[in-house]
Amino acid sequence: MRHYEIVLLVHPDQSDQVPGMIERYGAMIVKANGVVHRSEDLGRRQLAFSISKIHKAHYMLFNIEAEQAVLDELESAFRFNDAIIRTMVIRRKGVITGNSLLYEEELRDKEKDIERDRLAAKSESDRKAKEAAKEAAKEAAKEAASKEESSDDDGEAAEEVESESSESANEENVNVEESE
Amino acid sequence: MGQDKENTTSGDPEIDYKNLDKLRQYIGETGKILPGRISGASANMQRRITTEIKRARYLALLPYTDQHR
Repeated sequence: MRHYEIVLLVHPDQSDQVPGMIERYGAMIVKANGVVHRSEDLGRRQLAFSISKIHKAHYMLFNIEAEQAVLDELESAFRFNDAIIRTMVIRRKGVITGNSLLYEEELRDKEKDIERDRLAAKSESDRKAKEAAKEAAKEAAKEAASKEESSDDDGEAAEEVESESSESANEENVNVEESE
Repeated sequence: MGQDKENTTSGDPEIDYKNLDKLRQYIGETGKILPGRISGASANMQRRITTEIKRARYLALLPYTDQHR
């Protein structure tokens, strides 16, 4: 049995099939007495250049140990799967486990996304709190304008600009995805 | 640039088509692979770098050129 490394590029519209494909191909290998040493879902990545007018693709990575017959079967399965836009199979010398660099990157990205969502939710609630605070401040200012309050207002205005810019960045992301 | 040969052992696992930051050190601004005499890699390393860059290009992880639209 030989060691192989397989990379698959899946059409971004068929992204939701990816977990199923990982399972299906893994089962094909295991059924023929092969071993799957590593299988990673690298997520949707920007392509360095467009392939048949697609700008993003969903990457998958497998490190397997299998017979030639199994590999042939897999390759024909890849060929007849319309969701797969490109494949690469290379031979490796030994067992490769542990996260690949691309997977580490993907994990970091995912973490960042979660962080960003959390921050967005936070800034939203902050802004509501600030608006309420401003109303209260206005009421107070009417009664007596002190220096402390005016400096507070400056700080609030700067923070608000920041949160707005992050929101517009989010909107841009949405637009990009729609255009695909 | 690159008068001295880089100290890279020939079994370096860092040279891999998935290690994009490493490979980007060996391509020029236009996306071309730098020649060994410029990059300072030994002949053995240069061959490995070349194949890995070509693998990365095939998977659209690295550009072939800066002229892609």
